[in-house]
Amino acid sequence: MDPDPTDLTITEGEPPMPRVLLIEDDPSVREGVGLGLRRRGHEVRAAATGEAGLAALAEFRPDLLLLDLMLPGMNGVQVCRRVREHSQLPIIMLTARGDDFDVVVGLEAGADDYIVKPARTEVIEARIRAVLRRLDDSGPGRQGRPAIEVYGELTIDRVALTVSKTGRPLALAPSELKLLLHLSAAPEQVFSRQQLLEHVWDHSYHADARLVDACVRRLRGKIEDEAGSPRYVQTLRGFGYRFGPL
Amino acid sequence: MRRTRTRRRARAVAAAVTAAAPLLGACGIQETDVIEAGGPASFQAFLNRDHDMLLFFRSPDGGLSPVIRTTEPSAGFGDEYVEPGSADQNSTDTAGPVPTEKAVLALLAGPREEDRAAGLSTSLPATRPGGTVEVEPPSNGKVTTRLPLALQDLNSTALHQLTCTIAYSHNTDGQVVVELTDQDGTSRTGTCGLAPRNSGEAPAEPGPSTR
Amino acid sequence: MTTGSGAGSGPGSGSATGFSPDRGPDPATGSGPDRGPGRSRIRAFGLRTRLLLAFLLVAAVSAGTTAALTYREARNAMLQTAQDTAVTSFRDQVQQTAFGLPLQGGEDLEAVLRDIARKGKPHPWVVFAEYGSIRASSGENPVSTVITPELRRAARANPHGSFERVVKDGVPYLTIAMPMVFKASPDSVLPSGLVLYAVMRMTDEQVNVDALLMAARDGALPGLAVALIPGLIAARSVLRPVRELRRAARSMGSGRLDTRIPVRGSDELADLARTFNESAAQLECSVRELREAEERARRFASDVSHELRTPLAGMLAVTEVLDEDADHLDADTARAVRLVSAETGKLAVLVEDLMEISRFDARAAELNTDEVDVAEAIRKTLHNRHWSDDRIRTELPDGIRARLDPRRFDIVIANLVGNALRHGSAPVTVSLRTETRSPSPPVLITEVMDSGPGIRPESLPHIFDRFYKADAARTRSAGSGLGLAITLENVKLHGGTIRAGNPPGGGAVFTVEIPLHAEGARG
Repeated sequence: MDPDPTDLTITEGEPPMPRVLLIEDDPSVREGVGLGLRRRGHEVRAAATGEAGLAALAEFRPDLLLLDLMLPGMNGVQVCRRVREHSQLPIIMLTARGDDFDVVVGLEAGADDYIVKPARTEVIEARIRAVLRRLDDSGPGRQGRPAIEVYGELTIDRVALTVSKTGRPLALAPSELKLLLHLSAAPEQVFSRQQLLEHVWDHSYHADARLVDACVRRLRGKIEDEAGSPRYVQTLRGFGYRFGPL
Repeated sequence: MRRTRTRRRARAVAAAVTAAAPLLGACGIQETDVIEAGGPASFQAFLNRDHDMLLFFRSPDGGLSPVIRTTEPSAGFGDEYVEPGSADQNSTDTAGPVPTEKAVLALLAGPREEDRAAGLSTSLPATRPGGTVEVEPPSNGKVTTRLPLALQDLNSTALHQLTCTIAYSHNTDGQVVVELTDQDGTSRTGTCGLAPRNSGEAPAEPGPSTR
Repeated sequence: MTTGSGAGSGPGSGSATGFSPDRGPDPATGSGPDRGPGRSRIRAFGLRTRLLLAFLLVAAVSAGTTAALTYREARNAMLQTAQDTAVTSFRDQVQQTAFGLPLQGGEDLEAVLRDIARKGKPHPWVVFAEYGSIRASSGENPVSTVITPELRRAARANPHGSFERVVKDGVPYLTIAMPMVFKASPDSVLPSGLVLYAVMRMTDEQVNVDALLMAARDGALPGLAVALIPGLIAARSVLRPVRELRRAARSMGSGRLDTRIPVRGSDELADLARTFNESAAQLECSVRELREAEERARRFASDVSHELRTPLAGMLAVTEVLDEDADHLDADTARAVRLVSAETGKLAVLVEDLMEISRFDARAAELNTDEVDVAEAIRKTLHNRHWSDDRIRTELPDGIRARLDPRRFDIVIANLVGNALRHGSAPVTVSLRTETRSPSPPVLITEVMDSGPGIRPESLPHIFDRFYKADAARTRSAGSGLGLAITLENVKLHGGTIRAGNPPGGGAVFTVEIPLHAEGARG
């Protein structure tokens, strides 16, 4: 659990720490979370409203969005939809337990993960790292296989991290992409939701399985011909999900 | 609590049964006491005042029973064989009621065989034949008869026999006071009183009163 | 009144929670109000039976009394007529007869008597004659055994006709005594000493009386049957409101407090219905007030924890900063800063638990079931809490799959194991098995047993109470004090049960039973 901030820098060759845009209406939370993250080396821009946050987006160009769901005016879900309209920026929702329904709505709107307030900075940091983690090393038996795989009309490029359907590139959010890459790495193998939580989201085994379900629904909406009768991401009732068979 | 309730209920049932019992028990025909229903029945007794006389004998229960005796001794078995007219002609006496003397003599002669067969008897002593009976003409509704007997020796039934026989011989109703005298001068006065009119009072007492 | 519609809308939680709190208090005891139909509708001495009996009794008594009185009158009239007829006709008969005086017994007399007897009305009778010592009759015996001495005495003493009813050997007889008189002159009669008796069997009268009795009975029995009809109608008119009342009471008992009875008429039953309605209205009012008060209290707890959470979120985010920098501060400040940091963490846990409890109270807790391998789930729980050393022993057979909420099951196991480690002592054994008890569905049984001194008996009933401290000396436990209460709620949410006990071998054991395929206690 020990954070290792240098890790990303060395392997990815990206700026040392992710830039985080925090949209939070409560000043103490805004300041506390900002303080903790800055302390860990993140560059943090904080906004008090959804409108201000959207305005800062283009100028600040964050690597990740920390979004409180309960906002005055434009609420978190609406902000989330607006961002997803033209960006696959990783989004983590800040929520309070008891707002279960809002969590589902937020996840459906395109958020990749959520954090329940109040949370220690180390928990927030861990979630941020998990969402940003690359998936190129995930999946069993990757060695010796081509980077580009074709499944039916679906083309997955594991190096460029792009997915296209009938030649048309698809805009997948980070969690959707990671889920698709994980499932397609072992076609026809069944993964329980608990396993997917652990491997794709770095959550504990017992975390909220709705995270998986919401992500699957979003993914199907993008890759399947008919979301009602999926070909690529199939459900096995009582066990979990699998990729194919086509 | 429960026991008192049960007891109360039992008492109610008992009361109901008691109330219903006379109603239920009245089924069928019950015995009754002796109930009076109308007067006596009168029957035809073939009494012909012209030559029949009424004699009073003692019945076994102690009362007096009238007996009809025709004056025609030859008639034997009573009146059936004697036409009223022929009896009239055969009579030694003049027509008319049988004289009282004759009736008294017949009474003193005692019951005949047919009377005895019915259990009748007399309380009068047997008299010597040839005794005379004298009847004085009635005066003031009173008939005096002189008898060849000692009245002291007679009991009340005997007196009553005499009184009734004399009374009914004299008067068809028997409503007459009878005075009996003997040779000693002793006399008894009384009425017969057998008619049902007097039934309210004690009947059949001759009311003998010593003077 | 929509019970619980407010209960579902806890602050911030959506209204689309999967189950409605209206479903009743607890499905496990849901069979309670339906015990009634087991009872038979017609009770041995129920109201209906008693009413019918009363009606029948009244009808029977009145019919019986009427019949009896009618019967008695009719019988008396009948007997009177028979007797009068007999006496009159007897007198008429004998008055047409002639007798000589003194009477002579023998064949002639008997012939005369037989002649009288033949003309008897209403039936032939036996005629006896008594005169002096003569005894004669129209029958075989010259002296009757039926005629009583009283009748003889009366006949002798009074010149009156008289009769007497006699029952001999069960046969009723009418005996008539007729003293005979004859005319001594046209206007005076003289007793002859002759008494004629007539003896008549009253069998025909008996038959008539029996017929009368039969008629009365035959009239009374249909009368009783007819009396049943008003009895039934009356019973119905009484029983229908009673049945309505019972239905309403049961309906109230099952929670529909807005139940009312239509008030009909103005009799006692209508009063009863009115009283019932008033009481129901008052009850509904009090219950509504209670519910509102409870709702306010719950909302208050929920609001308080909500409001606490926001400042806590800010504080918790900076505790790390405090902890790191404490080393550079002077000793006192450092201790103060570390204290604040540590207590902030505990406060956060407490507020989280309070939030969870208030969500249970508001019935807003949701069950997100998934089919999981139970042994693996428990192993993950222990592993995540770093309880993989030899303090914990496990008996977890593989291959048990159950449908449950993994997150909530994790809380249950973690709370029980944590509780066992804190209050009991190591080693703690976690065991798992399934059991099938027909007809109920198979259950998953999880047991957490410690090796400590066990739970004190007086604490056992309260062990799942909120903030209950089994050890009064301990001012504050490491947990929030809500752990076991939350555990209980989570188990109940799965439709299961949890119980605590002290097994004979020592230590304390918590046993959780959850249906293998929990679809939610309220779902």
